[in-house]
Amino acid sequence: MRLSEHEAKEIMRASGIPVPAGVAIRSPGELEPHLGTFGDHLVLKAQVAVGGRGKAGGIVVTEKARAISQAEALFAKEIRGVPVLEILAEERLEIEKEYFLSIAVDRSSRKPLLLFAESGGVEIEAVARERPEAVRRVTVSPLLTDIPPFALRDLLGGMAKDLAPIVNRLYRIFREKDAVLAEINPLVTTKKGFYAADAKIILDDSALPRQGIRKGRALTEREREAEAHGFSYVDLDGEIGVIGNGAGLTMATIDLIALYGGHAANFLDVGGGADRERVKHAVKLVASVPKVQVILVNLLGGITRCDEVAGGILDADVRQKVMVRLAGTNEEEGRSLLASRSYTMFETMDEAVKAAVEAIR
Amino acid sequence: MIFADRSTGVIVTGATGNQGAFHIPLMNAYAKEVGGRGVVAGVTPGKGGQAIHGVPVYNSIREALREHDAGASVVFVPAGAAMDSVMEAAYAGVGLIVAITEQIPVHDTMKAIEYARLQGATVIGPNCPGLISPGECKLGIIPSHLATRGNVGVVSRSGTLTYEVIHELTRAGIGQSTVVGIGGDPVIGQTFSDVLERFECDRETKAVVLIGEVGGSLEEEGAASTDLPLVAYIAGVTAPPEKRMGHAGAIIEGGEGDARSKIRRLEGLGIAVAERPGEIPDLIRGFL
Repeated sequence: MRLSEHEAKEIMRASGIPVPAGVAIRSPGELEPHLGTFGDHLVLKAQVAVGGRGKAGGIVVTEKARAISQAEALFAKEIRGVPVLEILAEERLEIEKEYFLSIAVDRSSRKPLLLFAESGGVEIEAVARERPEAVRRVTVSPLLTDIPPFALRDLLGGMAKDLAPIVNRLYRIFREKDAVLAEINPLVTTKKGFYAADAKIILDDSALPRQGIRKGRALTEREREAEAHGFSYVDLDGEIGVIGNGAGLTMATIDLIALYGGHAANFLDVGGGADRERVKHAVKLVASVPKVQVILVNLLGGITRCDEVAGGILDADVRQKVMVRLAGTNEEEGRSLLASRSYTMFETMDEAVKAAVEAIR
Repeated sequence: MIFADRSTGVIVTGATGNQGAFHIPLMNAYAKEVGGRGVVAGVTPGKGGQAIHGVPVYNSIREALREHDAGASVVFVPAGAAMDSVMEAAYAGVGLIVAITEQIPVHDTMKAIEYARLQGATVIGPNCPGLISPGECKLGIIPSHLATRGNVGVVSRSGTLTYEVIHELTRAGIGQSTVVGIGGDPVIGQTFSDVLERFECDRETKAVVLIGEVGGSLEEEGAASTDLPLVAYIAGVTAPPEKRMGHAGAIIEGGEGDARSKIRRLEGLGIAVAERPGEIPDLIRGFL
């Protein structure tokens, strides 16, 4: 789960990493009472989780006198298609130099990976591409509580003395908050010292329960319902509703629909043990997507009982056509159950997907 | 075959839970069918002295090892304690640990994998279906009736998609040496490179099917590390960026790890990439 810049900065502030003075607002009026605390200029930053926010007009530097009207204008915008619901208003920093500092879970080494570059900011991806040696990389054993001093020297070079406290604090956040990414880009230096000018924290979804964080802000009603049933669910924008078991098989089903010229309306993974009730709820949920014209059920498993699945599909009793590919135990019973109500059952994934795509044409 | 064979005794941890109790008899039915040792003991702290489908349950892995010889453990322990169980097995000297459990916090996984590595143990998973060597052994939950013995290795980040592929292979008359589900999490004990290295040393394995998905770059790293003939399939070509597609590992971050660029890089290595799972048998047949 990606935190907003404002939330990430609050965590950093609490851990002793300097962040610019600022306030998060949800309407232009909320800025008014805070204006006195700012200097002549403010930075207004749209709290949208999109890359290239600055280039897309999501960051505005303004004189204090025009701050309210500028905030109004920013609230009226969409940044790369995302509406602006929250703005972080901050003091403007007199930046001398920008650095890049990041801690991430590294899949290849299976360890926390620390990255540092002496040229930060929006161009860091280009720097990493063109001069990979400019980004210093150090992994830390996950069995160690703290970053060993030698690793800090390796990472920071001549900056070790100045930046070690900030890196150590960021590493503590990374560990204690179960983050998969904790990043400061840019980390800037000013006459008053270092500041996290931007902040990005992504939390591990699997650790949210023990962090006491409830997922599911900004979920659509359908996504909330899917979550309540324990389905993995993502809305897409086609006409073929998709139900599968297992993430990989469901993704592959959606890809195959696209390959045959169709468009999936959603990704729904019912998970293991697709019993009658779960299948019924899944079919009903997908049928409730307004654009869905055909529903494709692709379930394969050693332990999936096809008669149960067929029963669930019949119980759901939806208006759309349902194309079913089932492989598992009691296949024959499942097949005859479905045939009795003129549903079609296919033996292979290819056949089922082709039929679903053709049914739309 | 790689990792284990019919002589491998298995300890199931989380033996008395739903998943453990469900899969112990399935694993042992397969062991009986192929003349293997199968699950010799179960472990659930506080439930020692019970039996699950005839398999004795102990309070700890060390206790179980005092009575039984076992070279592997299969972990069905719930997410909060699964990695503790992995470390317990590594500490007790179990050489191969297969972690089936999903939704384990990734910081726990990093610690347990590092700990196991230092203890000299190999971890497969977490969030994986385990492995099956048809005719030899099954450690985990892969449906055995879909698999047949042969010369194609299968290594995959997925569960059911793996079943789909071995189902297609078997239907096409192509058997498998070992099928390994390495897991759908961002951090896993055995990567494609690790498993491919083992397949290289296996005389039975003539070619390998590599099944990957969006997220990370383990597929390309693995493919680049081996001389074995490979056929790859990558799921998630149509996955939208930064949306999690079921698996914790299946997310496209910052433009990296999307399926199309992954496929381009694999093709750049000279590897045949199937457009759809149904194409895999014909592509792999060329290497046999």
